[in-house]
Amino acid sequence: MRETALTEDQRDALQEIANLAMGQAATRLASLLDTFIELSVPRVRVVRVEDAARTLRDMTGIDEPVIAVRQGFRSDIKGEALVICRSSGVGNLCALVNDPYVHSAYESVSQAELMFDVANVLTGACVSCIMNQLDRTPIFSAPGLLGEKLALEDVFQADVLAWRTALLLEVNFSLEDKTFRAHLIMLMAEDSIRRMNEALNAILSSL
Amino acid sequence: MEQSLSDLVIERVGFGIFVLDRSMKVLMWNRFMQDNSGMAAEQVVGKSIFDSFPELPRVWLTRKVESVFQLGSFAFSSWEQRPYLFKFDHDRPITGGVDFMQQDCTFMPLTRGREVVAVCVTISDVTHVSVMQREREEAVVKLREYANRDGLTGIANRRFFEARLRDEFSRWQRYGGELSVLLFDLDHFKDINDRFGHAVGDTVLRVMAQRVADAVRAQDIFGRFGGEEFALLLPCTPLADAMVVAEKIRTTICDTPVEAEGMRVPVTASVGGAAARAGLPGYEVLINEADAALYSAKRQGRNRSVALA
Repeated sequence: MRETALTEDQRDALQEIANLAMGQAATRLASLLDTFIELSVPRVRVVRVEDAARTLRDMTGIDEPVIAVRQGFRSDIKGEALVICRSSGVGNLCALVNDPYVHSAYESVSQAELMFDVANVLTGACVSCIMNQLDRTPIFSAPGLLGEKLALEDVFQADVLAWRTALLLEVNFSLEDKTFRAHLIMLMAEDSIRRMNEALNAILSSL
Repeated sequence: MEQSLSDLVIERVGFGIFVLDRSMKVLMWNRFMQDNSGMAAEQVVGKSIFDSFPELPRVWLTRKVESVFQLGSFAFSSWEQRPYLFKFDHDRPITGGVDFMQQDCTFMPLTRGREVVAVCVTISDVTHVSVMQREREEAVVKLREYANRDGLTGIANRRFFEARLRDEFSRWQRYGGELSVLLFDLDHFKDINDRFGHAVGDTVLRVMAQRVADAVRAQDIFGRFGGEEFALLLPCTPLADAMVVAEKIRTTICDTPVEAEGMRVPVTASVGGAAARAGLPGYEVLINEADAALYSAKRQGRNRSVALA
């Protein structure tokens, strides 16, 4: 745990990178979805997986069942990204990508497909931007559903996830008219967090 | 010109690879796509993909590709939500209902520097996965049904019967109305087993279960409670009506002897009935009361039906 924890400088650097990346991601999402999505200033923590659920509960105040979609990403830094949203907010989430189909009666799209689409778009935009800031081009795997009505604790079952350490990067997505919240979390193995430390050091020393 | 190794791999590889520009024009088309679509690269490359395949979902596909250009990130489509993009034949002769090759699609950004110059689409044939999943779902449905049935008679087993009784009882507690239960038992069944053998005993149970199942209403739940004991749950039925059914069951059983292994075995049954009434704490008590009525029918000489007094 000690050696994968971030130093204060590294944490500041990661925070700065995440801020820049979310700015980029917001711009890209706005042009894709044709509506302005506000992304909160991301909050970054490195926690043990067994503490992840409690930490995330403290950060978000979520006390209800959630829907969780997972997606792998890899370069030399690799891990898993989760999009988590209150089960009751799935409709709002899907409305984000639903628009074009309103005018296309015969091309129907299921709610499950919309949900994967929106999770993929949010993950893709945010993770790509962060990785680009670290000078990496990630490759993604297809999104998969962890569950539609899960307790936060069940999302982070330490014996199910391959990761022992989680980089919690918590971002709120919200819309101007309907406010909803979705949260993005990046999970990484020790090895990848170490590589990220190195990448952050390289950026710090180049300043 | 000699093809590079990468070109040879792309030609031979076992999944579809093609490349689109931002106006949906095809830039590349591999052998898999050619073999499955019947359209060669020369026919497809340089034109909009919708010129060659007008049946493709235009809004959906354009949007997928555009999202990759705008986000510089991947997009996906799974057979579980969208069984196929292209109407390709699959190579499985017997697939039990899968009409076309089931496809997983990946949309990858091809970048030069930070700029997305094109989108590469890969198509994986996952027909075998979908067939396996379908078979597994069918097996689960079958297992669930077997779990609710009694192996010998094919009617509901005790577990299923009690679950339904619990549901009906809580409905009755909430909404009121009428709810009756009959328990019945073949008289002197042990003697039948001893005199004619277990094979005949089993036939008697099977035939009786079948006769009664044919005689009861569709909305009633008929189950084997264990051994030679059976139970019938009658929702929305007052006790007096339930006892009419009890007599019908009793006569159905005793009117005709059972033919088994060349022998005629006369069978009679005793029936006990009880109905839900105010103050009953749980469905178990309802069963106990029907059981007490059944006991009293036995004591009064068997081959009769008795309602809980």
